[in-house]
Amino acid sequence: MTDQLGALTTIFTEFYYWVTVVLMFLIHVGFCMYEVGASRYKHHQHTLMKNTMLIPLVTVTWFFFGWWIYWAFPTGPGIAPSIMNESTALITDESAFSATWYTATSELMAVNLGDHISGVFWAAFLLFSWTAASIVSGAIIERITTFAFGILAIAIGSVFWTIDAAWGWHFDGWMLKILGYHDAYASGVIHAIAGGFALGVLMVLGPRIGKFSSSGEPRNIGPRNPWLVTVGLFLIYTGFWGFYAACNIPIFDLGPEYGMEGVTYWTATNIYVTPTTLSGITFNFLMSLSGGLLAGYWIAKGDPFWTYSSGLAGVICASAGNDLYHPIQAMIIGMIGVVIAYKLHYWVERKFKIDDAVGAVAVHGYAGFVGLVICGFVLNGYPSSGYSVGAMWDGTTYATINPLGQFLGAIIMFVVLGLIPGYIIAKVLNGMGKLRIPREVEIAGLDYEMMESAKEDEKAVSSATR
Amino acid sequence: MATVSNWIDHLSAEEVAGAIYPGAGSVEGMLVIIGIILWVGWHVLTARSESEELSRLAKKRHSANDHKSNITDW
Repeated sequence: MTDQLGALTTIFTEFYYWVTVVLMFLIHVGFCMYEVGASRYKHHQHTLMKNTMLIPLVTVTWFFFGWWIYWAFPTGPGIAPSIMNESTALITDESAFSATWYTATSELMAVNLGDHISGVFWAAFLLFSWTAASIVSGAIIERITTFAFGILAIAIGSVFWTIDAAWGWHFDGWMLKILGYHDAYASGVIHAIAGGFALGVLMVLGPRIGKFSSSGEPRNIGPRNPWLVTVGLFLIYTGFWGFYAACNIPIFDLGPEYGMEGVTYWTATNIYVTPTTLSGITFNFLMSLSGGLLAGYWIAKGDPFWTYSSGLAGVICASAGNDLYHPIQAMIIGMIGVVIAYKLHYWVERKFKIDDAVGAVAVHGYAGFVGLVICGFVLNGYPSSGYSVGAMWDGTTYATINPLGQFLGAIIMFVVLGLIPGYIIAKVLNGMGKLRIPREVEIAGLDYEMMESAKEDEKAVSSATR
Repeated sequence: MATVSNWIDHLSAEEVAGAIYPGAGSVEGMLVIIGIILWVGWHVLTARSESEELSRLAKKRHSANDHKSNITDW
């Protein structure tokens, strides 16, 4: 950094991402509060620990290999050539955005005076990883072992979501080129995949004891602390602001980037390096949140748990195209997503006896899936990238956004990279006898021993006179 | 281990070396190996203790409401 303008741009970008990371930490705080509020008293502390420990579990693996996967896999490998080196192999050469710079032994993965961006960008993506794992965490509370959850958290947080991000959330991703995939604020790459993964795990894990009557009727095990749930969801909304900002590049000159001779055009861009504005996405964030809340309040007949969750589902549903939608489009899309997610949740619960304790599959999975599909219709014909607009299935240029491409993209996110891996890993863990806690422990409560020993301690303290 | 011993010399070099952590250029591989050992070890230790705790608790056969008796009342 030798000139002031360059230094200002670099330091601004560094600080910008750093702030988004701090804001996004609130998502995790919110998820912790939300899950504890939704769990029963006898499981509180284990529920909290499970979601807390995903922080180190995902962070360390993200450092070791998760970040590398994101930069290595945009080509598939073997599906579409990279625009950087024209090869379909893993991107591990010496090109500018190669994975070779992001191995755990790289000098860029540490304090480096020549690189002010890698660490904050790594952290922004890491916080997305926590979110993906946290979404799964809520669905499976009160009956999974912490060990099994740790393995599942690493799988979704450091492997499968980062593969989908390389494919569909990278300027060089094959899904953009072949399918015209567009998912600016992660309806699919975070939410649909995590919802699908949670569903896959739930299919193997089974319901909590008592969730279904002997005739198969579902019973409501509602949130035990509605205030924790409320504050938790508000914190998730707050963190979601940071997430939206983190999905943008704050300041970028698109003229030279697109090879436009003599043109200078500074703007914010989305993750695909196509232009948008922080101002515009703020309209859309709030309008889709409002659409979700309005629809949720109506369809759940004022139930607070579903109304709050629906606000989130509204944003999630509109997120795929919130870089370009009109605010009223964003609101309507949020409403549609909520109605479908709510109805599907109860249909799946009754039909397949799936016990999704916090509605995570619905709020994230179904709403995300629907959001991707709607985006294909509303943004039909927009370029998925600024680099070279081409036709679907071409592979060497970028297809335009279209309904079929978005539908296939939604299947890839929810089913191929979400549900199937979640199901298989849960099956393996179940086969090892490591997936579910013993029945007796579930009945007594995971915290039984902690509470028992706390009781003895407190008895001793309360009878003390000095 | 010190990668930088004089900031003036370091920053006035023709090409400023970016990596400034201790042992830059030589310790990275070893650090990753240590990290992996710590990582795997943590999983083994915690998985074992969780299994022991769950089987100990499972043997006691508590009822679904037993936990209510150990909620402290002050």
